[in-house]
Amino acid sequence: MGYKLSPLAFDYYLKALRNTYRIFAPVLQKGKGKFAGTDVISYGEINSLDDIMLDRKSYFSPKEVLYPIRETLFYFLNDETKAPAINVKPILILVRPCDLNGIGKLDRVFLNNGQEVDFYYARRRELIKFAMIECVEGFDTCFCVSMDSNVANNYDMAVRFDEDNITVKVVDKSLITKDLTHADTAIFEPAFIQENKVKVTIPEVDLVTKKTFDHELWEEYTSRCIACGRCNTSCITCSCYTMQDIKLSDDKKIGERRRVWAGCHIDGFTNMAGGHNFRKKNGEKMRFKTMHKINDFYKRFNEHMCVGCGRCDDVCPEYISFSKCINKLNAIVREETLHE
Amino acid sequence: MGINGKIVTKNAYRITKTRNKTALRIRVPGGYIKVKHFTLIQSIAEEYGDGTVHITTRQGFEIPHIDFDKIAQINKKIRPLIESLGLDIEVTDYGYPAAGTRNISACVGSRICPQANNDTTKIARKIERTIYPNDFHFKVAITGCPNDCIKAHMQDFGIICTTDPQYDANRCISCKACVKNCKKNVTGALEMNNFNVKRDAEKCIGCGECILKCPIGAWSRGETPYYRMVIMGRTGKKNPRIAMPFIKWSSEDVVVGVIKNTYAFVGRHIDRSLPKEHIGYIVDRVGYQVFKQEVMEGLKLNKKIQIAENIQWHGYYYKQDNQFKSI
Amino acid sequence: MNNPYLPDAYKILDIKKETQIDYTFKIAYEGALVGGQFMEISIPGVGEAPISICNYDDSSLEMTIRKVGNLTDQIFNLEKGDTLYMRGPYGNGFNLDHYRGKDVVFIAGGTGLAPIRKTIDHFVNNPDEVKNLEVLIGFKSPKDRLFIDDIDRWSEKNCVTVTVDQGDDSWTGKTGLITTHIDKLDLTNISEKIAVVVGPPIMMKFMLFELIKKGFKEKNIWVSFERKMSCGIGKCGHCKIDETYVCLEGPVFNYTTAKALID
Repeated sequence: MGYKLSPLAFDYYLKALRNTYRIFAPVLQKGKGKFAGTDVISYGEINSLDDIMLDRKSYFSPKEVLYPIRETLFYFLNDETKAPAINVKPILILVRPCDLNGIGKLDRVFLNNGQEVDFYYARRRELIKFAMIECVEGFDTCFCVSMDSNVANNYDMAVRFDEDNITVKVVDKSLITKDLTHADTAIFEPAFIQENKVKVTIPEVDLVTKKTFDHELWEEYTSRCIACGRCNTSCITCSCYTMQDIKLSDDKKIGERRRVWAGCHIDGFTNMAGGHNFRKKNGEKMRFKTMHKINDFYKRFNEHMCVGCGRCDDVCPEYISFSKCINKLNAIVREETLHE
Repeated sequence: MGINGKIVTKNAYRITKTRNKTALRIRVPGGYIKVKHFTLIQSIAEEYGDGTVHITTRQGFEIPHIDFDKIAQINKKIRPLIESLGLDIEVTDYGYPAAGTRNISACVGSRICPQANNDTTKIARKIERTIYPNDFHFKVAITGCPNDCIKAHMQDFGIICTTDPQYDANRCISCKACVKNCKKNVTGALEMNNFNVKRDAEKCIGCGECILKCPIGAWSRGETPYYRMVIMGRTGKKNPRIAMPFIKWSSEDVVVGVIKNTYAFVGRHIDRSLPKEHIGYIVDRVGYQVFKQEVMEGLKLNKKIQIAENIQWHGYYYKQDNQFKSI
Repeated sequence: MNNPYLPDAYKILDIKKETQIDYTFKIAYEGALVGGQFMEISIPGVGEAPISICNYDDSSLEMTIRKVGNLTDQIFNLEKGDTLYMRGPYGNGFNLDHYRGKDVVFIAGGTGLAPIRKTIDHFVNNPDEVKNLEVLIGFKSPKDRLFIDDIDRWSEKNCVTVTVDQGDDSWTGKTGLITTHIDKLDLTNISEKIAVVVGPPIMMKFMLFELIKKGFKEKNIWVSFERKMSCGIGKCGHCKIDETYVCLEGPVFNYTTAKALID
């Protein structure tokens, strides 16, 4: 069902939805950019249309809405463990197709990898509905089309933001409020971007060999990458975390275990008790990430992990471009294959 | 040829080593100038000088080899340059109204530099508006961060832009990037405590490095910018020394107010029997406590501000150069 | 919904001091286990770590823990009767069927003996299940030796070689790196012989290199990987190598799989 709404009517609609949902969207955090006098766009709860920032790509992905940066897993009290309750008010997130597909990758890891379902992810995930932001132009660093993630169909609602009006397609009937029934109906199917400025060619999964791993390409990243971890924290699909135990009382009877985001580029990720560290060089970290995003995730789930949102390109202080890395890798693999 | 040295000097022309030749000093507050003015500078240098300029140590221009008798003509022409300073005073055809207070220099600041905590250009221009055309010999510089690229520590008034970093533990991933960097490159004001970062406010100099290093936005800039002011640094032939911290976590108003008040302080205390007494030596003579009291007079202090109880300037006297031996 | 992250409290039945820094904790536990699997053990407010199960019976399990960090320091302060938090078991463990009826050598470096201890024990107690059983164990020094009583018992009817990198005044046994003792194994039927290798990364690397050089078939070698298994359930990413999650598909791998895993 499609509806055409004026900005004012859309605000009324949002207001009505807010009775049932907490609504998250990309918002401009004024003065919160790392450089003086700059802003940052990240996901936050919104009240009205004006809060939604669509002109620029969000620096951080919507991942933190359904997978908090820090999350208490449980408290210890004497010999009891207790998981904390969460806010169970349903959530509606406005996301672009790439991010919606990216959340699908998080689902793979947290819900489908191994026998166990991740309790914490699952209970939040169940609360979430998606309003897909129609995205037909993308941004300079996007390569979603190459990653097959420009199109998403598993939305509960799709939204087109035009200058003068907002068109919505509601798939989930529970998102139809009185405000909509009074609005003009419209026939609306969201369009999807068909071509990005940036294109990548993923090397065929089976052609990536040990030789590819040993290639000097990775040495280049040892000299360039500073392992700051921004590519991990901005990525919609990076899902790794580290456990933290916190002592809340001196007798050690009360404690908290939580998890916090971690990542292959973040210091200490592969350090083991006793001092061994499996990927010391930053080029090895880059190789690990690259392979995870465009090679080995595919071997497990038959789909690539990277969705081509391009955030890692946007945020890298060393101007390392992941899309360039993929293309370089592809050239190397093709070269290697020719010489076989 | 008769020249009133005091008048031409105050008019921003200097006595040079070449008899009958002067040099014009053009103010460029914060080292920021629109290039359209270059054609004017060029034409004056070509028409009245020898076709060269010197870029001064304080970020101005000096056009040498000008005949003294051309001053009046040149003054008329440089009106747009003086107008470009955006001063509150009326601009005339008589050239620069003062030259004692030197050009206010500033690093490139947050318009360009990622390290900078503030728009130093804007601040330089604001201070220029506030203190010019005072004529006492003050040197003021503004630097965007404690790296102090502009050498604020060599000034009478060095203003260092700082930020009060805000920590959001809910965003922190305990990666220690901020802690390690602060320990290695700054003052070691940060440490990990139960996976959270603990900041020692006494050690923190507000450089903002933690914000720059944080990969997740757990550190961010406070809403209000703050300033550290170092004072009475100097070079010279007698007692060169580095400026010492006077106030920290100051508002912009206080920083500007202090400089403004110092003109009155100098007016009251300067030894007029001397050809020129420099501000640093006046403070030495009168004492820091008197200086502090008088320059802080009437200023509305922001809540976070801290003022030095005492200042001990180091530096050295050239006359103590007794550690040298002839070969 | 089941919450796999919640550990349960278990009682420590006994603590045995193996070396200065390796203690074996016997813990009350009922449930199905396989040798080579691991538990995530923890102390509230201190931390959690993966520890191999080195022995078990119907009502208890044993884990040999090395004192290497904050958590293990605290665990060493625990006493008999105290509780320890655990969740698990995780990982595949050693599948006995891979070794039944075969000529098998178990090769362990240092604490690498812990995960295979139960499996060795099984075949020592059931000698008919294997064609031939040999054990080659290397420790840093005599005082680093683990499971001394077990090793003595195994040695009664089997060929067990224990070597130390560096002997001391009282040491009368073999010395030298473990890799230098491969020649003392029965290598008559090398193309059929099975090797199970567990140890620190550097020992594994050289041992595997030597075994292949000697003529062991890759498909006949089994290894157990040490990685930083943290969640144990394939979520946290710490133990992932290529497409493999060591906590899910490992820690025991056939060498044909293991050799292709690049960090």
